[in-house]
Amino acid sequence: MTNIIDPIAEIDESRVADQDVVIGKSRIIFRRFMRNRTAVAGLFIFLALFLFSIFGGFLTPWDKETLDPFNIGMPPSPDHLLGTTQAGIDLMALIVDGTRTSILIGLIVGGLSVLISAVYGCTMAFFGGKVDATMLFILEALIMMPAILVVAVATSGSGGLKNLPSWLLLVIVLLFFSWMGTARLVRSLSMSLMQRDYVKAAKYMGVPSRRIVWRHLVPNIGSLLVLDFTRGITGAILAEVAFSFIGIGIKLPDVSLGVLIGQATGQVSSFPWMFWVPLTVMFLLTGSLAMMNDGLRDAFDPSSSSVGRAKRTKPQTAKKITK
Amino acid sequence: MSTNTTPAERLRDAGLYAPGDAVLSVRDLNVRFNSENGVVHAVRGVDFDLMPGKTLGIVGESGSGKSVTSMAIMGLLPETADITGSVRYKGKELLGLSDKAMCKHRGSDIAMVFQDPLSSLTPVYTVGHQIIEALTVHNPTMTKQAKEARAVDLLRMVGIPSPKDRLKAFPHEFSGGMRQRVMIAIAIANDPRVLIADEPTTALDVTIQAQVLEVLHTAQEETGAAVVMITHDLGVVAGMADDIMVMYAGKPVETGTVEDIYYNPRMPYTLGLLGAVPRVDSSDKQSLVPIEGTPPNLAQPVIGCSFAARCPMVSDACLHGEPELLAVPGVQGQTLGHKAACIKADELSGDADAHKIFQAPPKPVSKFDGVARLERAKVLELKDVKKHFPLLKGALIKKRIGTVKAVDGLSFDIREGECVSIVGESGCGKTTTLLEIMEFHPDQMGEVVIGGVSNKAATDRKTTMAMRKEMQMVFQDPTGALDPRFTVYEVLAEPLENLGMPKAAIRKRIMELMKLVGLQPDHVNRFPNQFSGGQRQRIGIARALAVNPKLVVLDEPVSALDVSVQAGVINLLDKLRAELGLSYLMVAHDLSVVRHISDRVAVMYLGKIVETGDVDDVFDNPRHPYTRALLSAIPVPDPNLERTRERIILQGDLPSPLDAPKGCNFATRCPVFAALPAGKQEKCLTLEPPLASEGAQDFACFYPDGELDADMLVVHA
Repeated sequence: MTNIIDPIAEIDESRVADQDVVIGKSRIIFRRFMRNRTAVAGLFIFLALFLFSIFGGFLTPWDKETLDPFNIGMPPSPDHLLGTTQAGIDLMALIVDGTRTSILIGLIVGGLSVLISAVYGCTMAFFGGKVDATMLFILEALIMMPAILVVAVATSGSGGLKNLPSWLLLVIVLLFFSWMGTARLVRSLSMSLMQRDYVKAAKYMGVPSRRIVWRHLVPNIGSLLVLDFTRGITGAILAEVAFSFIGIGIKLPDVSLGVLIGQATGQVSSFPWMFWVPLTVMFLLTGSLAMMNDGLRDAFDPSSSSVGRAKRTKPQTAKKITK
Repeated sequence: MSTNTTPAERLRDAGLYAPGDAVLSVRDLNVRFNSENGVVHAVRGVDFDLMPGKTLGIVGESGSGKSVTSMAIMGLLPETADITGSVRYKGKELLGLSDKAMCKHRGSDIAMVFQDPLSSLTPVYTVGHQIIEALTVHNPTMTKQAKEARAVDLLRMVGIPSPKDRLKAFPHEFSGGMRQRVMIAIAIANDPRVLIADEPTTALDVTIQAQVLEVLHTAQEETGAAVVMITHDLGVVAGMADDIMVMYAGKPVETGTVEDIYYNPRMPYTLGLLGAVPRVDSSDKQSLVPIEGTPPNLAQPVIGCSFAARCPMVSDACLHGEPELLAVPGVQGQTLGHKAACIKADELSGDADAHKIFQAPPKPVSKFDGVARLERAKVLELKDVKKHFPLLKGALIKKRIGTVKAVDGLSFDIREGECVSIVGESGCGKTTTLLEIMEFHPDQMGEVVIGGVSNKAATDRKTTMAMRKEMQMVFQDPTGALDPRFTVYEVLAEPLENLGMPKAAIRKRIMELMKLVGLQPDHVNRFPNQFSGGQRQRIGIARALAVNPKLVVLDEPVSALDVSVQAGVINLLDKLRAELGLSYLMVAHDLSVVRHISDRVAVMYLGKIVETGDVDDVFDNPRHPYTRALLSAIPVPDPNLERTRERIILQGDLPSPLDAPKGCNFATRCPVFAALPAGKQEKCLTLEPPLASEGAQDFACFYPDGELDADMLVVHA
């Protein structure tokens, strides 16, 4: 029922010529994002976790290598805010380190995979024909490859990559498998953009195709890429947790949330804090990103109906709005 | 604020002065939305009474609040909107009802026909299912057989052939016009007392529009419902409506009977609107009345008359207090109830001339106007241009099962300084023709010569660039044709940079262009979304003119614009043609615009030109039955003429190009053919009529003077 939204859009339309109503696009995006309370909460949680992963080390005098022989397998106490492992290592120190690894993997994989998929997708759409068919075939083949086997082989060190830290190895493998879906999306989106009148207009002006792609296509898929960046971070974090959980992702001495959860599963009943704390952090991390995503969609989607309310539920708020 | 009343109070207030027999009374309807710029007061106090069986036309430009009013009546506005006032159906207050309570009224008492028939029907259900659904909701006790019988009746009523079989068809199997008929059938399924039609024909072709209006008329006669007809087209309502309400900036500014509004407008805005519409029935070539400026921003309170900023008669008094909608002092032969919201309503008596008041520019004269057509140079020549698409079938191995002849042997030329228009229904190949010209490729079938460069010689980039400099295009949708991320400067600089012009020269040229198309030069740093539709189209025109072309191709240049804005753009195109000696090739479905702006016209039907010649010859004395039908389908903004005029309503839709008839393309829908004796029909079915010259124009018909079939003629007396 598009008819319902139309009248509002129509009104916006005829007003835009007035000087006083010109609002910068970035300001509109910011405002729309801020209007989504959940998304703002998500952003705050994510930022808090990010700061925690960097400066969290100051919250505890212990580090992840030092054993505390007087507190082995102890529940949370003033000495150890989150308790200790059965080896006597401070859990807080481990969580800080694990969160950092997880966020690092997420950011690198999310960012790079978006970049790869944008370049790959645009190239496919732009050249079309045989190039498109070949590249699409490679892409489909990659989608069908079993990621879990490759991860297992690569991280077990049999790939000749022994001297790389395990988290970097995982980043490379995750990157290899994470960009295909987005690339296909970018391809179809740019193909539809190529049909737009302004692209046609540039073509009929005799503008070379290369310049059309660079000036008209890439900027217009930007909002999709921003959205996909946050989605990619979530995906990478979840994949890391899953792989580490079954023991083929991050290897000790590196710690990640997945490793911590995996280690603790055997002793949930005897050392519950060791299981629940990293799990909660992981939920907060992925949950906050998911909450943000919704707000980002509201902010970037031009057809979004996020314009707030005019209806007065309480008299006080009405005065505030109509002034 | 007086709007903080309880429903009971509203009901009492409204009851005090609403006539008892009105089916729908709206009092002091106010609607507010929130937007990025604050609260928009979209509808600011609408009052009207709808009498049973009568038709009220609500006219206004986009953003005037006419659609919002209808949505508010139906209770279809989003939860976030603030609605106050009173809407009463047969005395019962509808505002403030819950969605569930409203559902009892929607579809059974008040029904609605939406603008876009494509999105109003669910694609996964058959049309029969959707009609029966509407019946089931309000008549749970009806038997299945009864419902089916009723659905068949409804489809027959709206003129769908073999309704019983079509009941099982899916929406995609219907054309746009047929879908709109189905929508009407659903709307009248429960015999509503009020039918709200929101721009029901805007998305349709003129011939189909005529059919659908006819169906609406029948539907109203059959059910006796009162109709609220919302439209921006003054022609459409002229023949249908009893009363008109002109809306501007969310407020009714003039109300009255059709005669009052069309023959004796008392509000400058109404006067301007009437003057802004080109007339298909007159060859009078004076400029249209442009209404400069844009409607006020309803996010801010309106001070004084809302139209003051655009009104040519504005004086200081207009800025103090918004004028009330007051009764116009009665003149002889005028009904009571004519109201206008203008303090100068008295000054505008019946003989006011919109052209004088709005200072319409004089009709510009081109240097080529004095030169005989054949002595002018050709800027574009098409020789037997064809565009055939193969129709393939099969999943793995494609088999050619037929050919779609989108453009089939087109030849015409355009001389310097003239405007040639191609008209026809959608699907007739007019846009494909434009694209063929723009593509300009040596592998095309047929020859396209632009400024002396033939497409057969266009093998290298240098030749194509030379041709691109000669010809530029203006697109239909001004929003889609401008990259939303480019500033106006970047938009205009693109073609110039492409020619390798130095930076300083580009800047100078852009300033010239902005002035040329009537935009403020200091707006170059704005983005397209900061302009109104008309201004955007001006930017599109400026971009096309940047490289100084000789020929500009216009693809429906004004169809996406409001009437008042459209007039300004048409005047601009006229002015540019005269000043710069441009030639235009225009594609348009609005024949009134074509008549106003063109010198020559070509009527296309199924990929072929069926009639061509000087625009006045073709429009005043159409010879081909298709041209006659097209012209008769155009509504004229003149109620008396519109009511008595004889109209040809073509049967059916444009046949798919796949099963194009063997002989004359048009035979399947031709009103002349239908009236011919069988012996003569044979000729139409077997031979293809050639495009031959007779009299002033060329046309392709064997029996141009044949009688018309009586079934296809409609007169409303």
